Amino acid sequence: MSDHSLVGQKVTRTDSVEKVRGEAKFTADLSLPGMLYGKILRSPYPHAKILNIDTSEAEKLPGVRAVITGQKDTLPYKWGVVPYTRDYQLLPIERVRYVGQEVAAVAATDEDTAKRALDLINVDYEPLPAVFDPEEAMKEGAPSLHDDKPGNICVAVEIDEGEVDKALAEADFVLEGSFSAPEEDYCEAEPYAVLANFDSTGVDIWCPNAGPHMKARPLSAALGIPTSKVRLHRVYIGGAFGGRSEVSPADVIVCLLSHKARRPVKIVYTYEENCNCIRQEVAWSTNLRMGFKDDGTWTVGDFKCIVDGGAHASTGPIAVSVPYMELETTYPLKNLRYNGYRVYTNKPPRGMHPEQNRAFLIPIEMHLDMAAERLGMDPMELRLKNAMTPGFTTATGAKITSCGFTECVQKAADKAGWREKKGKLPTGRGIGMACGSVMSGFPMGIRGGSSAFIKFNEDGDATVISGVVDNGQGNESMVTQIAAEELGLPLDKVRLISADTGICPLDPGAYSQAATLISGGAVKEAATDAKRQLFEVAGKMLDAKPEDLDARDGNIYVKSDPGRSVLLRRAVTNAMGNNITIMGRGYRWPKIDPDREWVSNPRGQFASTYSYGCSIAEVEVDRETGKVKVLDMTAAHDCGYPINAMAVEQQIQRAATSSGICGGVFDKILWDKGQTLNANYLDYWFPTALDVPHIEPIIVSSNDPFGPFGAKEGSLSISISMYSAIACAIHEATGVWLKEAPFTPEKVLQALEKEYC
Amino acid sequence: MEQHKIRLSVNGEDWELAVAPNKTLLEVLRNDLGLTGAKEGCQDGTCGACTVLMDGKAIRSCLVLAVEAQGKDILTIEGLSKGDDLHPVQEAFVTHGGVQCGFCTPGMILAAKALLDSNPEPTDKEIRTAISGNRCRCSGYTKIVESIAAAAQGQRRR
Repeated sequence: MSDHSLVGQKVTRTDSVEKVRGEAKFTADLSLPGMLYGKILRSPYPHAKILNIDTSEAEKLPGVRAVITGQKDTLPYKWGVVPYTRDYQLLPIERVRYVGQEVAAVAATDEDTAKRALDLINVDYEPLPAVFDPEEAMKEGAPSLHDDKPGNICVAVEIDEGEVDKALAEADFVLEGSFSAPEEDYCEAEPYAVLANFDSTGVDIWCPNAGPHMKARPLSAALGIPTSKVRLHRVYIGGAFGGRSEVSPADVIVCLLSHKARRPVKIVYTYEENCNCIRQEVAWSTNLRMGFKDDGTWTVGDFKCIVDGGAHASTGPIAVSVPYMELETTYPLKNLRYNGYRVYTNKPPRGMHPEQNRAFLIPIEMHLDMAAERLGMDPMELRLKNAMTPGFTTATGAKITSCGFTECVQKAADKAGWREKKGKLPTGRGIGMACGSVMSGFPMGIRGGSSAFIKFNEDGDATVISGVVDNGQGNESMVTQIAAEELGLPLDKVRLISADTGICPLDPGAYSQAATLISGGAVKEAATDAKRQLFEVAGKMLDAKPEDLDARDGNIYVKSDPGRSVLLRRAVTNAMGNNITIMGRGYRWPKIDPDREWVSNPRGQFASTYSYGCSIAEVEVDRETGKVKVLDMTAAHDCGYPINAMAVEQQIQRAATSSGICGGVFDKILWDKGQTLNANYLDYWFPTALDVPHIEPIIVSSNDPFGPFGAKEGSLSISISMYSAIACAIHEATGVWLKEAPFTPEKVLQALEKEYC
Repeated sequence: MEQHKIRLSVNGEDWELAVAPNKTLLEVLRNDLGLTGAKEGCQDGTCGACTVLMDGKAIRSCLVLAVEAQGKDILTIEGLSKGDDLHPVQEAFVTHGGVQCGFCTPGMILAAKALLDSNPEPTDKEIRTAISGNRCRCSGYTKIVESIAAAAQGQRRR
């Protein structure tokens, strides 16, 4: 792999210059001629019937151009990520189910007028009993959020593989425990915004998203127009982190306002709206039993999880299943039972999150350390003893191909000084380790695959057309780099048209960790196809067989005689001059068992491949204040092969911070009867540059057979393990095992007082 | 609402504007002057995405009323480069991986410039303190700090 000109190296991303110059336009930066400003009226009640909405006074206010309600202006369409979860009327007609739910909306000539118009809308509510705790919601007699979902069970994922009860009985010892964590905010830097222009040709939309195709189809159903008339356009996006994957009520609302006013409309969310009214991450509680042999082999796991999913299903089956699937591919267990229940409560809906889910994975890693302690083993040795290896088939039938588990552990341990520090740090300091594995692309039905095209311009530069989306992680640069490498062009000779549903074919988006494997894979296929066609032309120019040619740095040359060459751009113009069209086409579908289904049949291959990683954290805990200071983080991630080593390092560092500092120490949403109390940066702790230590990223390359150039997903094994490493480090520093994340000073002090073990 | 006339310099250009007294400098820069590089991230002055330089000092433009900018010299991200040439801090962010989604980037770069203008040899702690008012969700700050340190080193060599 060392003879690549671009791939595998640290390459300046193609999207950096416009961002440092302030030229990159995000949705709120955009405007169209005649544009109106929208505002949304939201429910103050967590649960209520909507008896009547009177918009007559609002409609009369000068400057108001459109007012919409669910009763008057929407189709009876309910959204759901899969058919059996269609429970979300995006602008409700009869009932509101969470504080902040959209009830009506206004478009006006300026924002102040739109706000005044909201005050003039009268809504008659009949408050209903509400429920905010999932255990309470499951009890008989609890308020019911959806009439067709008894017991408020939104999704039940029930997996029972191997012989769990027998293995528990035969284990030399069984550890039992529980853990929980409240909701988290996604904390995207860019507050959500939507700009739409709905005219006779259809609707053009700009909004932050993790997959425009994932929004286009539901929008076409909600608006009653063909999918091809819903055109989501590429825009710079200020982060998504799993919170912007699905269609949002704001998307439908802005389109409806624009259609009614026959003018473009833009809505920009406040930070509070961004926190409450797009997505949050689920609250989660876990009860577990883990059985071991005295030699440290982990033989069996039995897990029951209650997931507070809020008022609607969102990506319910996926969010409940993925943490379990991550366990399955991390450690080679055959006896596994998992009962995961997503429950409705009167809170905003919850979606996927890159740190999915701390309350499932932290207790697992903590109990591995407990087992190691009981056996007098180094936790690193226990993990190496239970290392995943290539060729293993997991409990539900996923085959592991490339696997860098052991190498990640060893390299992280070497870099962090694990052997020198473990058990030897001064009082109040500790070092901890955790491992993780994440699928590259999971089942997404018809949107699981990607297609790409490549065309050449008259000056010989190439343009790639791909549905890939970039939320800031560098996906655009990544596919451009793949195309340039494969075509043999310098990076600045390749352009990209992306994330546009009017132009680009179906693509999973920046979702399910599929961008490198699937979107990048499709672009590589397209480049290979274009190169094959180009070599037919160049072969004639060089009097050589196409199969004897190669391309690099804009030159096509005979492999055995590199002096015989022609500039690639000359081959392009030669083709054009001879009326030969060169158009590269490529596609990539994940290798997934088509019969696997999240709930009805959770068996079979569920992703093409899996990443691996090891996180190590060193902490200092102040026993007087309970404050946890993270001193150092080391993260080794097996990404298969780094397309851009710089971008992979960026992602590993993000993952370590987001998991370790945010998920581990800081993040939690506070509530009072369905109302968030800390939807702002003063009260919702978010780390500054002073709170994050140096992070050492280590790239491990297991060279995946399916990934483009051997690459798979870029960092999430660290997202799902660094918080656990911190939990284990806190135990070494204090002797206590925590029962709840985040590890706030309050929680640490409570645990120290109880000396909980 | 009665408009107030203000005179200010923005990126070296003199402006005379009529602004409502309740408009922030951020709103005027973005909506009246079309300088959308400064961002509205939190609406309460805690994220730093709206950072611009006022008379050389990094300020949160969402917390400054436009009328308070009367007579001031404002530098936004758009005014930092000269033609096609990037400012050394911008260049360092590009080459050292200090940019991801780009939303915090304009504010981060200006905070860094203000630091380096007054402290050309900052320590790691001083860099982190200078950007502690700029929130980044994408990066974990490591490569941002490395970019600023590289810019400082580059400027010292010149």
